[in-house]
Amino acid sequence: MNGRVVMAIGLVALAAALLFAARPREVTADERIDQITTELRCPVCQGLSVKDSTSETARQMRDIVAQGVREGKSNAEIEAEFRAAYGDWIFLSPPVSSWGGLVWLVPVAVLGAGVLFVSGRLRRVEAPEPVGPSAPQVAALRERVAREEAAEG
Amino acid sequence: MMLARIVRIAAVVAILGLVVTLALAFRRDPHDIRTGTIGKPAPAFALDRLDGSGKVALADLSGKVVVMNFFASWCLPCTQENPVLVRVYERYRASDVVMVGVNYQESRDNGLAYVQRMGMGWTTVADDDGRVAFSYGVFGPPETFFIGTDGIIAGRHIGPIDEETLVTAIEKLRGQAASR
Repeated sequence: MNGRVVMAIGLVALAAALLFAARPREVTADERIDQITTELRCPVCQGLSVKDSTSETARQMRDIVAQGVREGKSNAEIEAEFRAAYGDWIFLSPPVSSWGGLVWLVPVAVLGAGVLFVSGRLRRVEAPEPVGPSAPQVAALRERVAREEAAEG
Repeated sequence: MMLARIVRIAAVVAILGLVVTLALAFRRDPHDIRTGTIGKPAPAFALDRLDGSGKVALADLSGKVVVMNFFASWCLPCTQENPVLVRVYERYRASDVVMVGVNYQESRDNGLAYVQRMGMGWTTVADDDGRVAFSYGVFGPPETFFIGTDGIIAGRHIGPIDEETLVTAIEKLRGQAASR
């Protein structure tokens, strides 16, 4: 009985801890700036995000993002301003909803096609079509067996 | 059997698509990158003149062909293209063509000293926080944008521009304006 009580208390405590950890937390302005600038590409760098770049261009972009956050704009609104000027290129990861999303979809499609192709080939190797003697061959064999039986007497 | 055939056809189509995409990509002029702003209304701006004599707003230039050139004194290609800009400015200064130099990522003092040293007689403005440059999708100076009399960005040129490209773009916009 005591053991059950302890286990029940333990489970309730675990559930409470999980709920506490999973509670929605308010994202700070700095975290939002980091989120947005991590996604934005620095236009004058080689594959660097605005957050990671030390260039003057990236610094100005960070300032514009920070100002947008201060003005109460949503992440999507701030990102839309850069997209309007640079297109989807300005994002390090192409959005799935645009043509750039093909970058994500094509490898999956190719992988699926490859799996289908290979599994089709394997099935054919494992289960070859039954190859039996044709009707004339069977007739010839029967005739030969009959001849040999007759010869043996 | 049927499935394998479909997969084979799909693979051929995918490879052909890749080849066509690469061929088109290599054919494009790297100075004519089409980003989001081409064919759209030019983003509005109101920037201080570098010489401190007031502001210049795009709205004030409505109905004119506008050549917007982003420049900086620290940008060597800007220095290289400047004689072309000076010649073209002299050619069109009495016409309906307006040239606006937008000083980019630079202190106003340095920008103004450069403008005076290089004989840039056209309107020059300071984009202190880079906001206007970003709204046009600028990668870095020099970049030149061509805005028609309808206020639409008709084209852009990345890097130092030559006289023929500049004049051709201007004349095309003037021709379009005349035919309206």
